[in-house]
Amino acid sequence: MELLVKISDGIDAALGRIARVAAWAGVALILVTVFDVVTRRFLVLGSTKLQELEWHLHVVLFVFLLGYAYLKDSHVRIDLVRERLSDRTQWWIELAGCLFFLIPYCVLVVWLGIDFAYRSFAIDEVSASATGLSHRWIIKACLPLGFLLLGLSGLTVALRKLAELFGPEELRRRVRGIEEEEALHLDKVSIPADGGADGGGTAKPRS
Amino acid sequence: MVAYLPLFMFGALGLLLFSGYPVAFVLGGIGLGFGFVGMAFDIFDFAQFSIIPLRIWGGIAENLVLTAIPMFIFMGTMLERSGVAADLLHCLQVLLRRVPGGLALSVTVMGTIMAATTGIIGASVVMMTLLALPEMLRRRYNVPLATGTIAASGTLGILIPPSIMLVIMADLLSRSVGNLFVAAIFPGFILAGLYMLYILALCRTRPELAPPLPEDIGPQSRGELWLLVVKSFIPPIFLIFLVLGSILFGWATPTEAAGVGGGGAMLLAALNRKLTWGVLKDVVERSALTGGMLFGIFLGATCFSYVFRALGGDHLVVDLVESFGFGSWGLLILLMAIVFLLGFFFDWIEITLIILPVFSPIIELLDFGAHVIPRETVYWFAILMAVNLQTSFLTPPFGFALFYMKGVAPPEVRIQQIYTGIVPFVLLQLIGLGLVMAFPDIALWLPRVLLN
Repeated sequence: MELLVKISDGIDAALGRIARVAAWAGVALILVTVFDVVTRRFLVLGSTKLQELEWHLHVVLFVFLLGYAYLKDSHVRIDLVRERLSDRTQWWIELAGCLFFLIPYCVLVVWLGIDFAYRSFAIDEVSASATGLSHRWIIKACLPLGFLLLGLSGLTVALRKLAELFGPEELRRRVRGIEEEEALHLDKVSIPADGGADGGGTAKPRS
Repeated sequence: MVAYLPLFMFGALGLLLFSGYPVAFVLGGIGLGFGFVGMAFDIFDFAQFSIIPLRIWGGIAENLVLTAIPMFIFMGTMLERSGVAADLLHCLQVLLRRVPGGLALSVTVMGTIMAATTGIIGASVVMMTLLALPEMLRRRYNVPLATGTIAASGTLGILIPPSIMLVIMADLLSRSVGNLFVAAIFPGFILAGLYMLYILALCRTRPELAPPLPEDIGPQSRGELWLLVVKSFIPPIFLIFLVLGSILFGWATPTEAAGVGGGGAMLLAALNRKLTWGVLKDVVERSALTGGMLFGIFLGATCFSYVFRALGGDHLVVDLVESFGFGSWGLLILLMAIVFLLGFFFDWIEITLIILPVFSPIIELLDFGAHVIPRETVYWFAILMAVNLQTSFLTPPFGFALFYMKGVAPPEVRIQQIYTGIVPFVLLQLIGLGLVMAFPDIALWLPRVLLN
């Protein structure tokens, strides 16, 4: 049990590191887009490459975040019934979901995705446009890679649920601690104490 | 029996979603599972699964329209942190201090302006609750009036462009995002106008619900007042001009406008001295996670709807609907009722991504004769659906906006008060929906004039 939790922590840390780097593709995307718009207006540059770069960044941005978002519990759930279930039932549901839904789904997409990317590599696929980007297989390979990470996040959660269901009380508490610390409820905490509520010099008094 | 497999697929989805397992993975898992069931009945072949990566690639990855979404998310998340909204609310309060219900009107105006700069709904309800509710309670506003105003105004973001939902709808219905954005402008403003008329009328007849603000808030001299107005209105107007203006005048595609808006939001935060490294890092991570969540459902829905179609779901739905023998109006009302009811339980993301692909063959069949030009029917339908979904956020007992609000409201605000407060606004929404239904030109006139 101890070992399972260690493995899950290891995967978790690796996924987090990858995702936190990939997240900056968002800023890169904005900068590239702004650059494209501005230069097109005032200079005449070919912007096909830039536009292709834009969706390349978009792909990086979402595929590498899928798994991390699961670990952060950011994926939408329908909580209506779930809230009323006991902890044990919830753990069983999560375990079953990982084993029967998430992991098989990822295995399928990874397998088909590798084939998909390999075909692109084999024919040395380039952009359909003469002035586009080459080496299309690199970005295509991100799809199976992202689903591999998503599958690993499913494995992490499954291991944690096993530890919670069958492990000793002490281990259970440790796992819950990790989960609670990680969970980021996107719609629940949007403004930190020092953030938007304080509108600078003209702010209204706080309650 | 086998022909009804797609229906079982929907049944299974309905049941399993309530397990509370993430929607994105339930969708993917059911798609996969029913593919295998289809194989057992010899109506699906394993090789057909290999279409899924192609669909993901063509539909989601190599798609410059959807590339707008992460940037709009970033823009909204960054704006929340930029202090722009708080400044704006303060200024509106000062300007409207002599008007009955001035604070409630300020909230509506702020909601409308913020809606035109961002398109994430949960976030804007939360932000407005945190900003405005404590102030309204301190001024002894009637609690249901306060919560109703905030919830309704906070959800306008889903309708008033730029809206992430409209980007997705346009993509799924293969229509132009720019056109849909422009079509949504008047309906959004009409709803905001209805809210304001209601608040004004209510506060004039029953002034005790909304005590007036003290005269001495804000700057006293005229010069300072103007400075305040300029300082707090310029940033959001600048951003609206940047994003909507560049789409309206045809300078940029919605995707490019999203990038410019994201850059603009960063610039505003920097000017307000809010753009620290910590804030930037948090916004980057938070918006990336929101995008990951949204595209997770997108991917799952791609898998689900591909298998659904491969099993004959499209034909089944069209046959089923035709067997009802409803005319176009009957169908429209039926679809609206379904969306409205689903809105009790599901978020717009699930409804749009799961239901719209299933509905789209029916939508193409709709014919309203002279009421709506066939070419414009789909835009009109999308706007009706958008107004409808906004309403469904507000409908007790499961309106999402109400839950978001309860989550961050001061503890003395009870959920019953939130429920009571929203009822008049839901009625206003239905009036708005009826207006757009009866007078399609509310939505269709502006794109016709501006974008033809």
